[in-house]
Formats: sequence, C-alpha cells, structure tokens
Amino acid sequence: MRAVKLQLATKTLLNSGAFQWKKVPAEELRMAGARVDLQPSRYVRTVWAGRPVGAVRNLKVQTAHNSRDILFRLEWPDESKDTDFGDGSVFPDAASVIFPLKGDAPLETMGSPRSPINAWYWRANFATDEARNRSCQGYGTEEDSPERQVQARARWEDGRWYVVFARPLSANGKTNVKLSSAHPAKVAFAVWEGSSQERGGLHSCSRQWLDLVIE
Amino acid sequence: MPVQPPPVKRQLAAVFDMNKCLGCQTCTIACKTLWTDEEGMEYMWWNIVSTMPGEGTPRGWQKLSGGFQDGEPRPSRLPKLSEFGHAWEFNYEDVLYGGQGMNQHLQPKTGDDNWGPLWDEDQASGAYPNSYFFYLQMICMHCTNPACLAACPRQAIYKRVDDGIVLIDEERCSGYRFCMEACPYKRIYFNQAKKVSQKCILCYPRIEQGVAPACFRQCPGRVRFIGFLDDEESAVHKLVKVWKVAIPLHPEFGTEPNMYYVPPLSPPLFDDNGDVIEGSERIPRQYLESLFGPDVNRVLDTLRTEMAKTRRGEKSEMLDTLIAYEWKSMFGGFTRDPGTLKRPV
Repeated sequence: MRAVKLQLATKTLLNSGAFQWKKVPAEELRMAGARVDLQPSRYVRTVWAGRPVGAVRNLKVQTAHNSRDILFRLEWPDESKDTDFGDGSVFPDAASVIFPLKGDAPLETMGSPRSPINAWYWRANFATDEARNRSCQGYGTEEDSPERQVQARARWEDGRWYVVFARPLSANGKTNVKLSSAHPAKVAFAVWEGSSQERGGLHSCSRQWLDLVIE
Repeated sequence: MPVQPPPVKRQLAAVFDMNKCLGCQTCTIACKTLWTDEEGMEYMWWNIVSTMPGEGTPRGWQKLSGGFQDGEPRPSRLPKLSEFGHAWEFNYEDVLYGGQGMNQHLQPKTGDDNWGPLWDEDQASGAYPNSYFFYLQMICMHCTNPACLAACPRQAIYKRVDDGIVLIDEERCSGYRFCMEACPYKRIYFNQAKKVSQKCILCYPRIEQGVAPACFRQCPGRVRFIGFLDDEESAVHKLVKVWKVAIPLHPEFGTEPNMYYVPPLSPPLFDDNGDVIEGSERIPRQYLESLFGPDVNRVLDTLRTEMAKTRRGEKSEMLDTLIAYEWKSMFGGFTRDPGTLKRPV
C-alpha cells in the first residue's frame, strides 16, 4: 500500500471524517482470526479451540503523510460499540497498526524474541487521542514503549468504527519502526471485537505483511 | 511457552474450622479496610463468608466451572458485575441526618439491584424445625496448581517459591481476565479503575514480618489457623497432615488448594413430636459431599469419635487444638503484634 503525500495539517487528517480522506486510495483487507494453537495460555488454547476467533473479517485501510507525520485510517463494521468493560463480560474494541522491526518478523505470533514488532495500539476506552506505542516479541509479551509519539482518534457511527493513527515519520528509539520515503517498509493490521471477548492474542489480523511505500 | 509453577520450597496453608464461625464478617471488614478501600475496588471482597447452602459470590460460582479435569483446563466464563453485586451507596444523609428518619427507610440509592454478595446471608435450607445453614469462609486458595497462573498469557501471575503465595503482578497484568475465567473458586476481581485483576494476597507484607493475615488475626471466633504445611509444630500441619480432619473445598476442581476446612457438624433432626432423632444429622451428608467430596464422611466420623472421647473424660489433643485455648497456637509462629509494625508512609 502507498502512503500518499498530502499538504494538510495532521490535526485535519486525524479527523476520520475529513473530506480529504475520500481522495486517498483505500485497500479492502480480508482479515483472519488469530491461531488459537499458538496462544501462550493453556486455558485459552483449550477453551477457544472450538470458538470462532476474529469477528471482524473486513478492514478498510488508507494511509497518507504530510512530510512530518504518517497517518493510517482504519474503518470496519462493528454493530456493538464497546468502549469499556460493560457488565464485566465484554472488552473494549481495539485496533493495531503493526510493523516488523527487522526483516520478516512472524506476524502470526506477533513477533518473536529475535524479531520483535512495533504495534501502535488504540483501544476504545483510552482517552481522546491516546494510543500506546508497543513492542512485542510474541504473544503475551507486549510492552508499552517509552517512546510515546503515537496518537489515535476514533469515532463510531452507524455501526462502523473509524480510527486514525498518526506518528512522526522520523521517530527515534529502539522500539520505533523506521519509516521514510527512502526505504520500503512492511505493515499489518489487527482488530479486536470486544463484544466477542477478543483481547490479548485473540483478534483478527491481516493475513500477511503488506508492502508499504511512502511517497 | 507452557506455564507450570516452579515447585515451592515451602507452602503456607490455612485451616478454617467451620464449626466455630459466627458469621460476623469481622474477617471480611478487616480485609476490606486494609486492602480494598480504593476506587475501583468497591465491589471487591477478597475475603467473604457465605451462607451455605447458598449461591455465594459471585452468584452461583460453584456452577461456573473452571479449574482442571484430568489435567486439562475446564472451560468457564467471566462472571458479570451483576453476579458479584454492585457496591451500594445508601441514603444515610436522608435517614440519619436529613430529618427524614420517620418517613424514609435505609435503602440503596440505586434501586435496581436484586443481588449482592451476602444477599442470601443467614437464609436456611430445610423446613422448620429441621432447617439448617452454616458459614463458608472464602479467600484465594493459593493453589499448588493455580488455574489462574496457567491461564495468564502474560505470565503476570506467579507463585512465590518461599511460601507458595500466589500473586498477580499488576505491572504485567493487562486486564485480559483469563485468570478470572479459569479460577474455579472465582476469587479474582477486576479493578475497573486500574484495569487490572486483583485478589487476596494472603497479607504477604504481614507474613514477611511474622504477622498473621488480617482476616486470621481479627477473627473473634478463632476459626482460622495458618502455618507452613511442613511445620510439624504448627496446628495446620497437625490438622491437615496428621489428624487429617481438614480437607479442601471442591478437590475435584483440580487446582490443589491450600486452604483447608474442618467440615460442619450438625445438630440432630426432630421428629413430628418434637423429639430428637438420635444419631441423625441436620445437614445432609450428600450436600457436604458435593462440597468436600466423599472424604467428608471420614472426617465427620473422626470428629464425632473424638467428641465421644472427651465426653468420657478422656483427653483429645485434636479437639484442644481446634478449640484453641491459646490463640498463639493457631498461627504457626506468625504471632507478632501488627501494632509493632512500621506503617508505610
């Protein structure tokens, strides 16, 4: 996918309803449920073996940059807006933009100790514009990174989530993916459907890394 | 990737003598005021004394499954907030201070609740004059094979090697609550403010300084014994390992709990004329077996044999231990006065 260059302020693009997003090419991604047999918890492997994982099957993704920040706009259908823990049996909806930190980190396990990933993580119970910048070396190892340049703004309307992530193109730090027009990168996406009790390693994910070209 | 707790050097264990419990909830409040009085913890009862037969808390927890069967995790589900019961705010201002005491009665401000943790407190089973109930003391079981630990994908739950206390590392916890699902005793709560799971810590900061946990130390009925299971001098060791009159609750859950119970003896039944039926028992054995397994029969028979001995004027070290003439004998050496501890600033 291609991050198109736009002469627009980041705060304009953080608004998922901004009309300028209409001009940005969109990719419709088929998502797959995470593999239950790779989950690190015995309980999860046993209990979810017969349960469907990955309620969200289609994700629309757009990406753009304004030379300073790069943005990803995610959009998916979700009839139930879960912004918190409800009656105790649901979880907040969530989404991630995922990058390998080197080479082809294994996507189906969310990285490995040798090949960590960098995940920008938004969850529906976070404060406005809050997102976590995480590093992960396999399921269950996600850690918030000290570099906090990622933000996200979300909107739920008529049965759809719209989430825009933003991060400065140049961001230092070991756990930050390097993004520039000079180097092709790879990217993937994950979505958690809170009303289906998806959390942790239980989510839907794009089926493979996508090539990311920054104009 | 597979999560098995490392073998512990020593295991702290406890015995609850159900025959002495007054149901006063002093233990419950001792725990509440010490550990769970912050925002997000309002509905938590790390210690609770439920009336049995009853639904307990969360409501109907015994039917929610979890734990292990033949070594494999048994599926369960997350209890709902309504099954725990909300922490109610009462209209104290109106009734006590607002001059409305004559026309308003004390009630929760939220009127739509129909369940709480002690909703069925002191509600008996059976029909008068043969009705019965007893109290069940519940804290985290600090299991040898904790289902919560095996369920956590982040390895945020650990079992301390030096004393076997099971703790949740709140720094690692991501609030996924697989532990809450997996615990068959449903002794884990979710803190909605901090977004982490929390539970009884067996007052480990007190234990580390030789002080018994608050719910043990403050029990006016001398119900609670604590000590290392391998400490041959401790009452816990004698009751569990030597006399074998303290047994685990729901051993079929497969987690090898380290909280043990002296099961409740019964008064006899009355016949239609109001006369005592000799040798009868008010609490059905079948019900007690559903809680403690068939071993409960042996324990109750042992207790009755010992009681008969003392009636004949003989000594019973076992009954003397259970009576606990000297409170210090109950705590396996954890007898330091908590008043001598320095409180953290």
